[in-house]
Amino acid sequence: MDEEPERTKRWEGGYERTWEVLKEDESGSLKATVEEILFQSKRKRVTESHGQVRLGMMRHLHVVIDCSRTMDDHDLKPNRLTASLKLLETFVEDYFDQNPISQLGLITTKNKRAEKLTDLAGNPKKHIVALKKAVDTVCIGEPSLYNSLHLAIQTLKHMPGHTSREILVILSSLTTCDPANICELIKTLKSLKVRVSVIGLSAEVRVCTVLTRETGGSYHVILDESHFKELLMLHVKPPPASSSSECSLIRMGFPQHTVAYLSDQDAKPSFSMAHLDSSGGAGLSLGGYFCPQCHAKYTELPVECKVCGLTLVSAPHLARSFHHLFPLQAFTESPAEGFCQACQGELKDKSIFTCPICGGVFCSECDLFIHDSLHCCPCYLIPDGTISVCH
Amino acid sequence: MKLNIEGLLVYFPYDYIYPEQYSYMLELKRTLDARGHGVLEMPSGTGKTISLLSLIVAYQKVVEELRKLMEYYSKQTGESNNFMALALSSRKNLCIHPEVSALRFGKEVDGKCHTLTASYIRAQRHSDPDVPVCRFYEDFDAVGRQVPLPAGIYNLDDLKDFGRRKGWCPYYLARYSLLHANIVVYSYHYLLDPKIADLVSKELAKKSVVVFDEAHNIDNVCIDSMSVNITRRTLDRCQGNVDTLHNAIQKIKETDAEKLKMEYRRLVEGLKEANVARETDVYLANPVLPDEILKEAVPGTIRTAEHFVGFLKRFLEYLKSRLRVHHVVQESTPQFLKDIFDKVCIDRKPLRFCSERLQSLLRTLEIADIADFSAVTLISNFATLVSTYSQGFTIIIEPFEDRTPTIANPVLHFSCMDPSIAIKPVFQRFQSVIITSGTLSPLDIYPRILDFRPVTMASFTMTLARTCLCPLIVGRGNDQVALSSKFETREDFAVIRNYGNLLLEMSAIVPDGIVAFFTSYVYMENIVASWYEQGILENIQRNKLIFIETPDAAETSMALEKYQEACENGRGAILLSVARGKVSEGIDFVHHFGRAVIMFGVPYVYTQSRILKARLEYLRDQFQIRENDFLTFDAMRHAAQCVGRVIRGKTDYGIMIFADKRYARADKRGKLPRWIQEHINDGSLNLTVDETVQLSKHFLRQMAQPFRQEDQLGLSLLTLEQLESEEMLKKISQIAHQT
Repeated sequence: MDEEPERTKRWEGGYERTWEVLKEDESGSLKATVEEILFQSKRKRVTESHGQVRLGMMRHLHVVIDCSRTMDDHDLKPNRLTASLKLLETFVEDYFDQNPISQLGLITTKNKRAEKLTDLAGNPKKHIVALKKAVDTVCIGEPSLYNSLHLAIQTLKHMPGHTSREILVILSSLTTCDPANICELIKTLKSLKVRVSVIGLSAEVRVCTVLTRETGGSYHVILDESHFKELLMLHVKPPPASSSSECSLIRMGFPQHTVAYLSDQDAKPSFSMAHLDSSGGAGLSLGGYFCPQCHAKYTELPVECKVCGLTLVSAPHLARSFHHLFPLQAFTESPAEGFCQACQGELKDKSIFTCPICGGVFCSECDLFIHDSLHCCPCYLIPDGTISVCH
Repeated sequence: MKLNIEGLLVYFPYDYIYPEQYSYMLELKRTLDARGHGVLEMPSGTGKTISLLSLIVAYQKVVEELRKLMEYYSKQTGESNNFMALALSSRKNLCIHPEVSALRFGKEVDGKCHTLTASYIRAQRHSDPDVPVCRFYEDFDAVGRQVPLPAGIYNLDDLKDFGRRKGWCPYYLARYSLLHANIVVYSYHYLLDPKIADLVSKELAKKSVVVFDEAHNIDNVCIDSMSVNITRRTLDRCQGNVDTLHNAIQKIKETDAEKLKMEYRRLVEGLKEANVARETDVYLANPVLPDEILKEAVPGTIRTAEHFVGFLKRFLEYLKSRLRVHHVVQESTPQFLKDIFDKVCIDRKPLRFCSERLQSLLRTLEIADIADFSAVTLISNFATLVSTYSQGFTIIIEPFEDRTPTIANPVLHFSCMDPSIAIKPVFQRFQSVIITSGTLSPLDIYPRILDFRPVTMASFTMTLARTCLCPLIVGRGNDQVALSSKFETREDFAVIRNYGNLLLEMSAIVPDGIVAFFTSYVYMENIVASWYEQGILENIQRNKLIFIETPDAAETSMALEKYQEACENGRGAILLSVARGKVSEGIDFVHHFGRAVIMFGVPYVYTQSRILKARLEYLRDQFQIRENDFLTFDAMRHAAQCVGRVIRGKTDYGIMIFADKRYARADKRGKLPRWIQEHINDGSLNLTVDETVQLSKHFLRQMAQPFRQEDQLGLSLLTLEQLESEEMLKKISQIAHQT
């Protein structure tokens, strides 16, 4: 038997009524009303996001992961914890892909306590390693919403005003064990302009509704794993910056990558500053990025210089954040037939989407893909290769 | 928006309307047009009351117009301002006198008020200015009656504010203003309880429309208002009252014998005055004052005050001897009358006049504090009732309570078994009486037990954009043990354990608040004790806090407050309460305060009670309602009341769990309101605990998805244009389920 004893068998698990997902509505089509509403909201997301709004591109996000008893539930396979951590790994990657000059930190909460898994940092690798390690965590006790939020604002409140302060809570439990009144904390969060969003894994909890409404975040509850993923991906995109957030100039360094060879006499091997604190990791190396201000060496970008505190990025990173400012226009919805120009599949849905500039038609799936990931219409890339902007 | 309901212009104060509201108004209008009575059931939280008011206001305006004919016709739209509506409550809630309003109990306030405002007290003041009176009442009496209350809508606080500004007594102002108010809102008792109705409601116009809202319990209110319970304490206090009366008579005889003579002469004349009033149809009939006695003079045996007091003493002694029994006695009213005649030679006739005679005596003796005389009033009312009605009442004397057979605590229950007696004058007098509530199913039983003929009976469903209620019938535990609260399995360990399991599992998956109802306090105590021993409570407490309703009101309101706090800040809570208790009747659990409600067992009334047995017998003989039918009806309306607590609107959602296999039977299920029944399909019958958990999980996730007003629009929420479309009108006509 290669299975752990505590993991129950498939037939011992919850009784599922898989056939009930398919529901016939009045007209006889197999589309549940709720799904219809969901589809509408999905579309809405695409259309809504296309205003000319100021987006907070420098983000500081704390992800709070519930590790309480309820994460052992098997309704996500193999259990809630493993499934969430897996999804979070892809989330972390996408997050840094879309927001290269942002930072992220992980917090876990269990047994009425909150612990920091990783500090706020701009390096995805460290977080992913931590997430992989966290799979073996024993899920025990109740979570504490208060303690986790409190821990998160300890660091967030020191972040400069022009960046966005965000907390994303993955909450599986329906109860929270708090040392003090959470309403006071919500007020503090509001005054600190911290945006708290919650993804619930089981059901709608009142305190989360209040929390997210007061702090301007979003609150969603998952239906299944794919829906969970979708909801997580919502948080990849930077939120609109609040109009009251201050504007300031930020000093940034753009270090060149110097490549040195062993044959080169001048090259001296040196440690990367980023690896000083971690015991393992890369040892001595020759080349790297050198801070233009103090010449500290780093092997990876983006990073905040440990010596002089300068934000070090590379030019492509900034360029990547650019599409958030000039998003692709929403495609117009119309009923028609034909083939999708992106996936070449037959258009079977009741509506298709047309790019207002080039007139290309797409199915709803491709439409979402283009807007969420590609950020440009595949049919009219301008020859010089830069991203075309629909203005 | 302005609606056109079969030719009647109705002003509706919102931009949107639910289809069932429109349908409700339609039915209501038909009832009023037919000048008949109606029974209407509509789910709570779907805007029943606003529909009611909108239509009735519009309807009254039409009546107004017809009377005043064409000259006002042109002003029609400008007329909406001279409309008056007010709420009436007891002196306790309306008094603004600094000393009187500080008293804590309603009875004390009434008594104190009476000592300050009674007519002879005020007469005394003319000669002796030191006698204290209520200045608010004096001011009101001096000028208040000439200047009517300005048109407008008054709730209790508005009335008090107005009273303070003017220096008038709000209570008497409200009572006086009832006569020319267009809409009056007050408690049932002001109309059904004969003692109060006589004071407050008897002058209401014949053309009034009477609406009993939340009327699912109306038969019990009727019965309670006519029933009398006499204990040894009542008799002791009554004895004291009689002695006081005796002394007062002696005193007045020495000082003012003329007064007693005057009274005697008046009594010889008989109660002609009241008779004339009733014949000319000015007043609402009083069931305690039977028609026959109005035509006769007060019999000679009790005409003089001393004789009457002697008569009361004899009657009292007789009752005392009856309470000295050692076994349960049940007899009908004629039997009782025969016995009383045999033993103490009291005839039927003087008994019948007892209540009126006492009132007259109290007036003559100028006794200020009526509250002290409640015991003797009760006894005299009993005397009148017992001698007037030969049917519909029963007398049961129990020497001890069933639970404590060793402690002697004799009680004489004079119990009304026919709710139609109390409500009959209301049906007879008023043109239209509407009975409406969220849970009235099965509709046809109400006209039968209240003995009237409705012109409309309709049950409305909720049109929903999403299925926001999830009724589930749990019949088995995970180990296939049948779940039931029936007597034989009540003590069964396996059943109790499975009930505990159900609550435990639900507490893990339902967010925020869960309300659980048990069939009785005793049953709840047993089960909770057993859960504690099995460690189930401890496990539940890991998920949610537990609060328990107790018979003590202060404790319960404290528990409720903490319960709500726990729901509010995310800890989650369970409230264990009792069907037919305070929580099940009056308290709403909106949104997160109640995401699930669990009904443990079928809330049958305690069937061993002799009063209930007598009532069932009566129902069977008089109305051909089988005992079982009535018991089930009564149990199901309470169950529906309990589970209905969680859905208070269309944006709300909640799970309703019926944890008893008996609910799955057609006779039980069929008695649930239509709006709940509709959502019980074959797949939600006789579930195990596991299946319930899975279904609930699925439901809760679905309901947690964002839900906006636009999603409802056009489906369960209509604009005026949508309402007027052909298709919608056709749909609406199907909402009302005529029976």
